[in-house]
Amino acid sequence: MSKSTILSGTDLSKKYGDLEVVKGVSLAVNEGEFVCLVGKSGCGKTTLLSLLSGLEKPTKGKVTLDGREITASSEDELALFRRDNVGFIFQSFNLIPTLSAWENVALPLFPIKMTNEERRRRATELLGKMELGHRIEHLPSALSGGEKQRVAIARALVNNPRIIFADEPTGNLDSSTGEAIMGILNRLHRDEGVAILMVTHEDELAKTANRLIRMKDGEIMS
Amino acid sequence: MVKELYYQKRRTLMSILGLSIGIALLIILNALSLAYRQAAHVPLREIGADITVQRSGDVPKDLAGAVFPCSAVTIRKEEVEKIEKLPGVRGIGTGLLLWVFDPNRAWIVLGIGKENSIGPSLLRSSVTEGRFLEDGKLEALVEVAYARQFGISLNDTISVADKKFPVVGFVDASRAPKIALANVYLPLKEAEDLAASSKELQSVSPYAPGDVNLLFIKADQEKITGLASEMKAILGSKATVATPDSFLKLLGSLFALSDKFTLAASLIAIIVAVLIAFKTMAGNIAERAREIGVLKAVGWTHRNVVAQLMAESVIQCFLAGILGLLIALVASFGLSFMKVNIPIPWEMSPTPHFLPGGGDQIFKTLRLPVHIPWTLASFAVLLSIIIGGMTGGLLGRHISRIKPSEVLRHE
Repeated sequence: MSKSTILSGTDLSKKYGDLEVVKGVSLAVNEGEFVCLVGKSGCGKTTLLSLLSGLEKPTKGKVTLDGREITASSEDELALFRRDNVGFIFQSFNLIPTLSAWENVALPLFPIKMTNEERRRRATELLGKMELGHRIEHLPSALSGGEKQRVAIARALVNNPRIIFADEPTGNLDSSTGEAIMGILNRLHRDEGVAILMVTHEDELAKTANRLIRMKDGEIMS
Repeated sequence: MVKELYYQKRRTLMSILGLSIGIALLIILNALSLAYRQAAHVPLREIGADITVQRSGDVPKDLAGAVFPCSAVTIRKEEVEKIEKLPGVRGIGTGLLLWVFDPNRAWIVLGIGKENSIGPSLLRSSVTEGRFLEDGKLEALVEVAYARQFGISLNDTISVADKKFPVVGFVDASRAPKIALANVYLPLKEAEDLAASSKELQSVSPYAPGDVNLLFIKADQEKITGLASEMKAILGSKATVATPDSFLKLLGSLFALSDKFTLAASLIAIIVAVLIAFKTMAGNIAERAREIGVLKAVGWTHRNVVAQLMAESVIQCFLAGILGLLIALVASFGLSFMKVNIPIPWEMSPTPHFLPGGGDQIFKTLRLPVHIPWTLASFAVLLSIIIGGMTGGLLGRHISRIKPSEVLRHE
């Protein structure tokens, strides 16, 4: 593994019963790199993202994230590792409906020993960067799709991650809102130097990335 | 946490209501049981005793002069001394109950050891006119209704078994304890003289001054049952030993009959309530599988998730406990208006059953003293918190095993 590699998966396979969804995939993401994983629905790209981010364990192969092999880690070790190093952005936002925007952003910080004021300060700062400073007390139900995804991006950033995993982040948004979200991700990668591994089925969006990886039937094509 | 409970208003209310009804039932059942127990103490407590003792004997052949009621014959001085020495006995009051059949009138006479604070000397507070008996004086108190019936006035002199007694006061029996009621109350010494000089009485139950036929015993509460057995052993099989437990049995209520019933009913109420609360909370938590997946994805550990769900559950169950307590307080207030009739056993009824009204059952009627002791209230609230902790813990452990990737896979 080179010095600048933050994430690597080696010979990764995932089987659900007899169905092999990911077949012996190897890939690496460098520090500050923006990589897009492209492919049709059902080709295994979301499963590969789950394997690489430690949300799921591979049937075979190993994952090294920020210099640490995570494949054999327990669920709790993985959770703590994700808390400290990884950010997630999901297609369906996955905000907690009962919590306000700032509380959703601060969600990864609640198990950490710190004052509520500090959590709020960090969340509010990030929401300000997402141009949502005026919406910090709003519940997700009072936010538009684009605003929800910006809250989700702020949540992904609140723990200062080395890498962000984004699974179809514009999938539930109209094209102009989707473009705005992509703009934010590009800015993050460019200005903050955060590595991003994004899954999408839209070639147009993938073009903005440094590198594009195509998947088909659980295998990497290019 | 509170926000989450507020957001799931319907489910939260359902589980709080379900558990609160169970907690309320638990409190009410136990408060009722306690109230019956306390009520059972009243007939004895109003005579200042925890146990009363008497011994039944033979019926006199001729009802002439002073005789003992067949339900209360001689208890010898030595037997009294033995009882006095039993561990747990804190004090003994004595009385001598006589039926005196004069040619033109029948008297129920009670000799009072007036210097003793246990027993019939408590009648002091029931004197409505005149004064209570004084030491060393040949005098009598008369029951006010009896005096009215037979035209006896204050300072009159009454003749009981050919002995003259000036009437120094009236006693209101309706305000007096239901045990040890009489028409005439005499100093114990005078009643002893009447008994000792009665041939008819001596022929049925030999008597010597210093013997008595009624004992009023103050005892350590936790030793009452054991003491009752020991007293029976001293006095023989014909002894009648009345304790709060024996009155409780006479009440006949389900609550009075058995602590086991109260325990079983309380357990059923709690189990049903816990099941309702558990089912509602389980439904609530199952609906939040996706949310829990998000928490785990962003770095919450198994312990963090369980702690969160436990805290929510404890808050819910604590609120249910408080609500249950409030419901129970209202219910106990309502139940405290309920009247209960405690039957006084015929052996303890002083009136000869062959006289008019003598066979009537005597009752002590009182309002059921339903109240919720703070220990019961605290136990119920603590129990609801424990239920909350256990329910939240169990459900949390189950749901936190969920794999985030399983629930976050986009649609």
